[in-house]
Amino acid sequence: MAGRRTLQVLVMLGGLIAWALQFTLIYGVTSTLCGRGWADKTLFGGGVVPVTILLSTLAALAIGAAMLLLSLKEYRSLQHGTASAVDTFMNQAAILISGLSLVVIIWHGVPALILPACA
Amino acid sequence: MNAPGLPKSFERDRSELPNPLPRPEGEFEGLKKAWEPPKGISFITAVNNTYVGLWYVGTAFLFFILAGILALIMRAQLASPESDLVGHDLYNQLFTMHGTVMMFLFAVPAVEAASVYLLPNMQAARDLPFPRLSAYAFWAYFVGGLVFFCTIFFGLAPNGGWFMYPPLTSTKYSPADNADWWLLGIGFIEISAIAGAIEIIVGVMKTRAVGMSLDKLPVYSWAMLVFAAMIVIGFPAIILGTLLLELERAFDWPFFIAERGGDPLLWQHLFWFFGHPEVYIIFLPATGMVSMIVPAMAQTPLVGYRLVVLALIATGFLSFGLWVHHMFATGLPKMSLSFFSAASTAVAVPSGIQVFAWIATIASGRMKLTTPSLFVIGFLFIFTLGGLTGVMVAMAPFDWQAHDSYFVVAHLHYVLIGGMVFPLFAAFYYWVPVASKRALSERLGRWVFGLMFLGVNVTFLPMHITGLIGMPRRVYTYPVGMGWDALNLVSTVGAFMIAIGVAIFLVDMARNFRFAGEDNAGNVWNAGTLEWLPNGNYATRSIPSVNSREPLWDQPDLAKNVEDGRYYLPGTATGGREALVTSPFDARPQYILQIPGPGWQPVLSAVFTAAFFLLLTVKLIFLSVICGVLAVGCVIWWLWETDPGPVRPPADIGGGVVVPVYVTGPMNHSWWAMIVLMIVSGMVFTCLIFSYLFLWLVNPMAWPPQETVLPSVAWPLAAAFLYVVSAALILWASRVLKGDDRRAPRSVPILIGVALVLVSGASAVDLWAQWRSGLSPSAHAYGAAVYAILSLQIFFVLTTLVMGLYTIARWVAGRLDSVRRTTFDNTMLFWIYTTGQGLVGLLVVYGFPRLGGGV
Repeated sequence: MAGRRTLQVLVMLGGLIAWALQFTLIYGVTSTLCGRGWADKTLFGGGVVPVTILLSTLAALAIGAAMLLLSLKEYRSLQHGTASAVDTFMNQAAILISGLSLVVIIWHGVPALILPACA
Repeated sequence: MNAPGLPKSFERDRSELPNPLPRPEGEFEGLKKAWEPPKGISFITAVNNTYVGLWYVGTAFLFFILAGILALIMRAQLASPESDLVGHDLYNQLFTMHGTVMMFLFAVPAVEAASVYLLPNMQAARDLPFPRLSAYAFWAYFVGGLVFFCTIFFGLAPNGGWFMYPPLTSTKYSPADNADWWLLGIGFIEISAIAGAIEIIVGVMKTRAVGMSLDKLPVYSWAMLVFAAMIVIGFPAIILGTLLLELERAFDWPFFIAERGGDPLLWQHLFWFFGHPEVYIIFLPATGMVSMIVPAMAQTPLVGYRLVVLALIATGFLSFGLWVHHMFATGLPKMSLSFFSAASTAVAVPSGIQVFAWIATIASGRMKLTTPSLFVIGFLFIFTLGGLTGVMVAMAPFDWQAHDSYFVVAHLHYVLIGGMVFPLFAAFYYWVPVASKRALSERLGRWVFGLMFLGVNVTFLPMHITGLIGMPRRVYTYPVGMGWDALNLVSTVGAFMIAIGVAIFLVDMARNFRFAGEDNAGNVWNAGTLEWLPNGNYATRSIPSVNSREPLWDQPDLAKNVEDGRYYLPGTATGGREALVTSPFDARPQYILQIPGPGWQPVLSAVFTAAFFLLLTVKLIFLSVICGVLAVGCVIWWLWETDPGPVRPPADIGGGVVVPVYVTGPMNHSWWAMIVLMIVSGMVFTCLIFSYLFLWLVNPMAWPPQETVLPSVAWPLAAAFLYVVSAALILWASRVLKGDDRRAPRSVPILIGVALVLVSGASAVDLWAQWRSGLSPSAHAYGAAVYAILSLQIFFVLTTLVMGLYTIARWVAGRLDSVRRTTFDNTMLFWIYTTGQGLVGLLVVYGFPRLGGGV
């Protein structure tokens, strides 16, 4: 029971945790590379800063989307069973939080497409 | 010992009442006797949430008035140009103290205090799980806060602004003790806030009415849960920041001195990582209050409960991505600024969700225009305006124009007064009937609201313009002819209108507030939540089982049946104070928690804690150390009476539900508290590692400085070995102590003793290695950072040492065995944490410079 509940909490907060990781990574990488003068290096043919931001954003989106899909799958199965009120609540909260997280993650990735790395 | 499984009848018979009538003779009297408050001078040793909560709220409000008076003096000074009512030095102290007292001594304590009073009532718990911790938090805050405030009468108050930026606050530019009062004075208030946060987290998760599962948790409880989690994550940054700045001022460790490798921006990062979430730390409990008041006033359930919970959780997360928007003018790369700009706008989404949920609730019901309703409407108007200017300053280009001007003063007051003060006043008018024999006056309440609402807008609306036409904040006067004169005069008139409103509120309180034991004013609003059940010092006569979020609306006769003792635990199973601990998700009964009653220990330990910090400020080191030792002694005296063990067999609480009176392991409430404490400790350490890496970033080619000789790797390897072996011995002792036969093997204290020697040896090896390498903590920020990591670890090892010796003492006294082992478990958890922190510290300090830190 405890393990299932822990999993539910992780799925519920997974999208926001993914955003927190993305945020920490993109800010940390930008600060470090710009602060150390390493921003002109390249990664996969692009500037290291925008490529890192892009990859971090995609990874975070993947986690957020996975949480959303898991929650939606769970939602469908709960419709057919006799789920407890807590399970239904956790599931619906997970759908809402994952959905919002996707928007926030994209919102934080956008600057990489517009701004120069260290100006 | 684990709780037995619930009988199947619990699931089947939820609609039936667990206990029959008539109740046994003497049952109710026994309950009342157990919860009787102490009399005479011992009254101050009371620990009930009903007493401590009210004292706490009252003290917070006292600080609101005191800080408000400081604001009135400032407004009087600024009413006309070139005024000489107060000089610049006093003015600096006034605005520093106004901000500091409002944020640290009013806002956070007020919302924490309100929850100490309200949460147990709202969740139908007899009390919070650690009432003595609440009392400790209150007394430390009360004594320390008052002494701290009094510094303004002696010209010793801090004067560097409430965010205390170095280098202005470094020894070079602030050589007097004023800054130290802030750094050390705020230190123990932070400890008090964290103690409260631990109490709230465990209280919300573990002490609820039966059946109050997460989907039925009051929004206020959700808000307080997120609030407490944010304190746990955010406050360690400011604790570390104050520690580093005080180390710099006291011992010349140059964390923030650029000439020696430090960086003042490090302070700004640490301060605002706490400081911006702080706004939401204050705001979220207020929204929780509003989410309780609006449904009662509209007589309809809150619209969008799930969305509101989502909004609270999302705000809690996103608010930690905003801190650099206070640093837009520091020259950081635009890309970095954009991340924070994005988070600053994104956080408006969950706030908006809540606002629309309240509007929809008002629209779907029939809102009664009572005083609480008026304050809620005022909150919606003022906070929304503050939120809109917040989106403006979230745009870096606009922020560069408005930075440090009166526009920002207007914005932050709209947010904080709108977002916290108005909901708090709504809460006063709404919940006073729970604590008082009489409700507050509706007639006077409308005057209070009218004057405060007009006053706030008259004061702060003009300040937007004052700022945009160029008036900087924190100037003690201004010349004639700048175009600021009339606007400032209007603002001053508005400030006095607010003051008159608050004065009328005080008159209302004096006239109508009469503390109620068991005869409160009752459910005057026909609200649906449990704090409106009949109650006394023992909270409710029996612990109800609930089926909805508004049980008083949906369960007829609930109040009567609770009062008759027909629900769970209508008496006392052990003869003392108890709370029913429930499972965190489904709120099923798990065990009976034996709660400690009144005692001098929390009062004395709080007074000595405050004295320790305050005496340190005035450099009375010897006396300070004595007070510190006495504080630790009182805490040990306090703890000695806890962890009572299974004093009786499992008890029937009604409905065939039999629960133990003592459990250990992850189900135990103190296990949860230790986990939260470890997260706090982990955050302090994480912030310290961030500081280390930040200083590395600003010191290219000097990490370590050229003349530094790194100690041989043999030293950290030896220290790591000692740490690991000591932790292994503790785990071994835990294994030896397992079993249901109440054994107390002799090997346990021996293993703990040997582990103590090893863990002490580990930190001694670490210290010796750095010392013999000739590294100085004051020559360069590198040395300061290394010694800061080392010092923190030594502090943790010393704490482990005290805990280990205490655990051995309990074994010697026969208070520790294989069943009664909560003390050991707590020590073990802390030991494992200290080991982990020590290993990571060694890796960073000895590994990072070798792995390319100097590149």
